[in-house]
Amino acid sequence: MIPEAEPKHCLWRRGTRSGLLVRLGMRAHRPPLPNDDWQEEHKRLAELEEQKNDGLGSLGLGTLGMGGGNASTVHLPPPASRVPHPSSLPPPHHSLSSMPPPGLEERGGGDLAESLAMLILGADPAIASVGGPAGPDDRSTGLPPPPSIPQQHHNPSQLPPHHQLTPSGLSPGPPHLSLLSYQQHQHLLRRGAAPMQQMNSHNIWENNLGFGPVSITPGLITQMEDSPLMSIIKEVGLPNRPPPMTSEDGRDLSERAPPPRSSSPVIGSPPVRAVPIGTPPKQPMSHAMNHHHHHQQIHHPTAVHVRAPVHHQHRYPPSFPERISPNTLLNIANSPLCRPPFPAGVGPVLSQIQRAQMLNSQVAGFPRGCQGPPLLPGGGGFRPFFGQPPPHRMGPHPGGPPPPNHNHVPCPIIRHNTTHLHPQHRRMLTQRMQSRGGERGGRVGDWRSRDPYSNLMSQREKEWVAKIQMMQLQSTDPYLDDYYYQNYFEKLEKRQERDRDGVRKEHTTKLITPQVAKLEHTYRPVQFAGSLGKLTVSSVNNPRKMIDTVVTSRTDDEEKREKQVWNKRRQILYTVEKMYSLLLEVQDFEKRFMQTPEEQREALLEQHKTHTQQLYSSLKEKEWDDRVSDEQCLLIMSVRKGKRLISRLIPFLPPLQAATIVMGIARNLPALAKKDKQDQVLCWLVEPIAVVISSLSSASLTDLLQELQGSEGQLSRVLQNKFGVTLLYLILSEGERMQSSNPTCQLMDDNRWTELVFSVTRELLNVPSSSLSPPLFTPPNLLSLFSRYVDRQRLELLQEKLQISALSR
Amino acid sequence: SLFINPQQKCTVKTIVIASNIQSFCCLFELTEKHLVLLRDGRTLIGFLRSIDQFANLVLQQTVERIHVGKRYGDIPRGIFIVRGENVVLLGEIDLEKESDTSLQQVCIEDILEEQRLQQQSRQEAEKTKHLALKERGLVMPRSDIMDEYGVQHQY
Repeated sequence: MIPEAEPKHCLWRRGTRSGLLVRLGMRAHRPPLPNDDWQEEHKRLAELEEQKNDGLGSLGLGTLGMGGGNASTVHLPPPASRVPHPSSLPPPHHSLSSMPPPGLEERGGGDLAESLAMLILGADPAIASVGGPAGPDDRSTGLPPPPSIPQQHHNPSQLPPHHQLTPSGLSPGPPHLSLLSYQQHQHLLRRGAAPMQQMNSHNIWENNLGFGPVSITPGLITQMEDSPLMSIIKEVGLPNRPPPMTSEDGRDLSERAPPPRSSSPVIGSPPVRAVPIGTPPKQPMSHAMNHHHHHQQIHHPTAVHVRAPVHHQHRYPPSFPERISPNTLLNIANSPLCRPPFPAGVGPVLSQIQRAQMLNSQVAGFPRGCQGPPLLPGGGGFRPFFGQPPPHRMGPHPGGPPPPNHNHVPCPIIRHNTTHLHPQHRRMLTQRMQSRGGERGGRVGDWRSRDPYSNLMSQREKEWVAKIQMMQLQSTDPYLDDYYYQNYFEKLEKRQERDRDGVRKEHTTKLITPQVAKLEHTYRPVQFAGSLGKLTVSSVNNPRKMIDTVVTSRTDDEEKREKQVWNKRRQILYTVEKMYSLLLEVQDFEKRFMQTPEEQREALLEQHKTHTQQLYSSLKEKEWDDRVSDEQCLLIMSVRKGKRLISRLIPFLPPLQAATIVMGIARNLPALAKKDKQDQVLCWLVEPIAVVISSLSSASLTDLLQELQGSEGQLSRVLQNKFGVTLLYLILSEGERMQSSNPTCQLMDDNRWTELVFSVTRELLNVPSSSLSPPLFTPPNLLSLFSRYVDRQRLELLQEKLQISALSR
Repeated sequence: SLFINPQQKCTVKTIVIASNIQSFCCLFELTEKHLVLLRDGRTLIGFLRSIDQFANLVLQQTVERIHVGKRYGDIPRGIFIVRGENVVLLGEIDLEKESDTSLQQVCIEDILEEQRLQQQSRQEAEKTKHLALKERGLVMPRSDIMDEYGVQHQY
């Protein structure tokens, strides 16, 4: 029940003449008041108030503002520095009542107002709950109960015997808290939540007018003596208090997380965490720092959550797990690693205050044996304007003892989370760190301590950034994720093995990525209420076509021809692409083979064989298995990519098939050479072909040579091409090798070889030097080859022409 | 047009392409000299101090290195903050390998002059080619006068 005594101002605010409804009504019709007019308003109100002063009854606040029971209703606002300047307030949307219409003044006493108020409160849920959501948030822990705060003007005896206006239906506390203006809170702070106070007449009227939804607020509004702003502030109502940050003392505003983003699942935008995903991790502040900042804590008692930012991220996937911030992952995955050994870690971007304090505290020294902020040995030339940035941070280089400082606490080596790295990489890193640590222990003024900026990024931050990158990796195939990285380290390993001849071999490459559960997100399209049917809303989850592009094709004849040419080329390219994908699978077969378990190896092998077969069959002649389709070969080789493809393919084919391909190439060499004029990339083929040739039998070798010579005049054309010459030399040299190494080889069995060589030499001699293209390389045993077949004179000629020196290269 | 000097033996230890993944973790050591290649062709060398998920970089004691032929020149620039979208690649410089390079360092004025000459000759060649093609009725898009939206300007 409404208590008997209620302070005057409550009544006044609520007003006998200007009940809420009335006031609202009044306001609705009035134009908004510009900020400057408040002074005039003030005067007017003062006059009015004096007139009314007698007739007003006052109400005691009763239980509303008093007692510990309402500790929840009193909350401490952010520090005084944050009280908004009145000019920064949004323009009052409620018009300040310049004057209550005369009619109101005639209204009866408290009863009417009271009943009206009750009616409104009860009936209008909006008003009743207007501060509801904000209300509970406004509670802060550790708040001293109102009575304990010294109340300067608290004067219970002053409760005048006014009758009350407090409606019984009034829900005290939270709903009204938010309705309090900042200024009022300030008053609360400074002077305590004196429910009963002496208010001078001015204030009464200020409170009264323009206070719409707050009108029913019980006497939590305390001293208003010095509140010229009050009217305006009350006019505006209360801005929503931001959800209270975990109190980080002396927090730097620039570091504060931006206000919560609107997440509208209606529109289909992705949901939002409390901290936006892009926020770097905040370092927990040390207790030491807290003490230093104590003076900055204005009014709250220390409700310090040192690790507050971490707490509410420890809950693993909340309702919308599709976006997990790296902070979450970091904290979950690495919790033991995250906490620095001792809380000397400071955030990388220290506020000016913090840095200043750090500098100050150099004198005092830090507790707990943390490394003090750096006293750079030489002072250095480094005077960053924030004072000396802290290389004292433990972060990335937890090597030996810290640089020459008073506090020498041996730092344990922090093992960062390196599980996702290649083991080789890991080894390298640890080696590096150790070596650095060792160095540091030794020399005093060495590079690292001289470099004050070296640890601008804390280890945690680096991990954080790396984690973001890693989150993109959803596959378990390390080669898919970062092929070049894997290959680099494999090459490194091979190199090291070659150097060291180490036996141990690590079958590595199992990339351990943070296993983000791949949840199936069923997309539910946006539905509008009250619409007819399903409307299409284009959002990030379902993009929609906005523009209709119409393709108009030209039907010119020449266009057609041109198009045909292009189509053909495209066809070729398409074929090449398909072959390439097969080839890549074939190439990666070995690596994958190593990784698959025993059971699946058979299947993999089969697959591999099929692929290879497919590749070959795309090249070969339709019916004949041992001959490469000229046409097809030509087509594919006409494209640069095709040549590359063939050169990569040949090593993977079985010898017979490879040989046929080489034959095909030799056969078609002139045509190929012509097409290659632009690209000049036939030479890519040299290496694989060389390998093939060396494994050829003598018969096939002879065949090959024959193919190369082919029809009339082919050889001369061959000789004009670099690749051709090289090929020729390769063949010849192989033959020579065969002959010299194995006297019983069949090369000489029939005369073909000899004849062929003869014709080759003839051609070589005949062809003008200018058109003879220099080969890629000259095999050394050509000379001995020729010496078998030609006489001395010709040999010398040949020697000169081909620049074959007698010395073996 | 982007031109990377193929003879540059200032060996980049780990090449991190802008949309990097785990190679990124190689940057656990952030105090080595790094080489950054930007989209407009500039080469910056400096101490990488900070990096974020967009590959925005903070480089300290940065030096812009201009390569012309076999020569190069350094322009000291101080502190750079590079927006990540302009980074082509970033890698760590192997200090040992940096010393044995076949490139010759010259002073800044010389290298700038050389660069100017190089640009000039390139432009002239391009112009004549363009003119020749135009006479034959082919219009090839010229990269230097085409801006990023594919709008070609007539000069």
